[in-house]
Amino acid sequence: MKNENPSILAPRRGAVLHGNQHQGWLAALAHPWLISPHRSAVRSLKGVRGYFAAILIFSVTSLCFAQTYTHRGFLENRGTFYPQKAANDRAQAVGESLFRYEGFYAPSPTFEVAGAVDFRTDTHHQVDRDFKLSWQDRGIRRPLGDVRRLSANYHNGPVTFEIGKQFIRWGKTDIVTPTDRFAPRDFLNVVDNEFLAVTAARLNFEKGANTIEAVWSPRFTPSRIPLANQRWAPESASGIGPVDVQLHVPGGPQAGLRWNHAGAVEYEVSLYQGFNHLPSFTLNLPLPDGVELFYPTMLMAGSDVAIPTGFFTIKGEAAYFKSNDKRVDEYALYVVQIERQSGEWFFIGGYAGETVTNARMSRLTSTFAPDRGLTKTILGRAGYTIDANRNVAVETAARQNGADFWLKAEYSQAFGQHWRATLNLTLIRGALGDFLGEYRSNSHALLILRYSF
Amino acid sequence: MSKRGFYGLLMFVFLQQDPRQIVEEAQRRSTSQSQRYEGTLRVLDAKGKIIEKRWQYDRVGSHGSSKAVLRFTAPAEVKGVALLIINHADKASDQWMWTPAINRERRIALQDRSTRFFGTDFSFEDLEERDTNQFDYKLLGEESIDGAACWKLQSTPRQSKASQYSHSYLWIRKDNFALAQIENYSKDQLVRRAHYTDIRNDQGIWTAHEIDMHDLKRNSHTILKVEKLQYNVSMKDDAFTLQALRRES
Repeated sequence: MKNENPSILAPRRGAVLHGNQHQGWLAALAHPWLISPHRSAVRSLKGVRGYFAAILIFSVTSLCFAQTYTHRGFLENRGTFYPQKAANDRAQAVGESLFRYEGFYAPSPTFEVAGAVDFRTDTHHQVDRDFKLSWQDRGIRRPLGDVRRLSANYHNGPVTFEIGKQFIRWGKTDIVTPTDRFAPRDFLNVVDNEFLAVTAARLNFEKGANTIEAVWSPRFTPSRIPLANQRWAPESASGIGPVDVQLHVPGGPQAGLRWNHAGAVEYEVSLYQGFNHLPSFTLNLPLPDGVELFYPTMLMAGSDVAIPTGFFTIKGEAAYFKSNDKRVDEYALYVVQIERQSGEWFFIGGYAGETVTNARMSRLTSTFAPDRGLTKTILGRAGYTIDANRNVAVETAARQNGADFWLKAEYSQAFGQHWRATLNLTLIRGALGDFLGEYRSNSHALLILRYSF
Repeated sequence: MSKRGFYGLLMFVFLQQDPRQIVEEAQRRSTSQSQRYEGTLRVLDAKGKIIEKRWQYDRVGSHGSSKAVLRFTAPAEVKGVALLIINHADKASDQWMWTPAINRERRIALQDRSTRFFGTDFSFEDLEERDTNQFDYKLLGEESIDGAACWKLQSTPRQSKASQYSHSYLWIRKDNFALAQIENYSKDQLVRRAHYTDIRNDQGIWTAHEIDMHDLKRNSHTILKVEKLQYNVSMKDDAFTLQALRRES
């Protein structure tokens, strides 16, 4: 049932792609070092690095059971049931297991090491079957073992410096966050994605209500996009035959600068120079010449604000994106939302919009862009805490034309000190060619059982 | 009568007449440079179900000029969730909550402070420490709580929008100026009652080691047991910033 050579897809504007069963692009995507002439040496070096990182995390765990060591983790099992068959994937049930361990060691009051490892497997071959521990986490499939995070943090007075694989989140809005540029995601399941860490050095200077943050990332971490032979590939791409794909993962660094003011009104100004972690695609005609998958350069200037009023908090976030790659658009994204908590309720409602200032994408170019795909959309999230153990939540994105929408309803219940079960029902409707409509066969029920420790 | 006894009696008479002096004396006696404790919380809902949570509490400064970080250590699924509270002498506190699962902190807006704090019966506002100058006080009389003679006072916030409570009743023990009970009202309805017991002298400060917070709307209780309490521990100011909130050990 599974194609052993999944590929990448795309369409935001109706363009289409598919993988090739015979070409080397897949290997290059899954194992970027295979491009190198010294591939075996590099591969073994990276494997050693991953194992070394894991050994370091577990050594710290076993040696440092003092006041300064804290840890947590969980074992999670997920079962997803799709009532509809997808055009390119007949599987209707998917099982996944994830074990995560996170440790934090502070040998002195000014120094901390944070590490986390993931081990996972699944029934749908979205997880690599090779037993190796990945540091980069850049393959097309999720790695079986992954150093999720490993960073050292030094802080003294107003200065904080963190280096290593870490999570960096910018922005204040929810669902769509235009300024969150150091936050690639795993989009193997487009509507239920999680963040990937980036390798970076981050310097923070915090004085009173003001924080200035500078980030430099020497290695680009792309978002993981859906596999072409699986159901989260856009439906309009499913009928295309195999083609060759040339992958261009940028090697250059990325940098960012952010100023945040946390006064009565919170605001933030941010700049980013680097690459879009979401890929674009160009079809080289005739088709046998293949598809070029690339991560365009990006220059972003953004800002966000949170204004508490008597009844709601109003949040806004906007960013303008330029690129010197002439194949992609230049555009602005913006989000306005209000949020409120009252009693056992919370509510977030907003609107995400887009303005294309320089439409340069040809009909042969496309992009996988959930951030842009969720614009011209009304966004909402509401939740209710039933009691200390149980809560319900509803999340939705509805196009302003009313035709396309995504709705997620969730019920979650804790059992004792360690167990939690979550039932999640997702409904997706829309027309082909629309970002949400591309996944209209993927409405599903998801059952999650987690044991936390 | 000795000189000391005379002055003591004078102070007693003086305090009896001025409710602000009583509260200020209670605040003065509970002032410390810092405080650290481990709290165990038992949440008992109306159906008798019990949930246990634990947090570590660090505070530097006192009352209107204090900063505090409260970090959950149990149950496992909320380990690392933390709240930073920056108290101000002349206004409501600033609060941010750090959620490790999404690697983001979120400001708790003033209008959201009446929400229960992470499934306990404490609201976000109940975790603040406010300066006496933010309230007006009225002495209502004397009552006994758990067998101890107390002054009963009414406190009303000077800025009505800064609090979910329209007014509160405070019971302050006459013997050691420790809080014995607080009843919080929204308009004329009693919404929360905090009952302070197991009051001990720790490093010269009379401190309740058990607080029973009763949410009368839900009829649920949260009992906070204070353990490993220390005052005047060496703490740095930079441990109470947004950057520090993101660090987890």
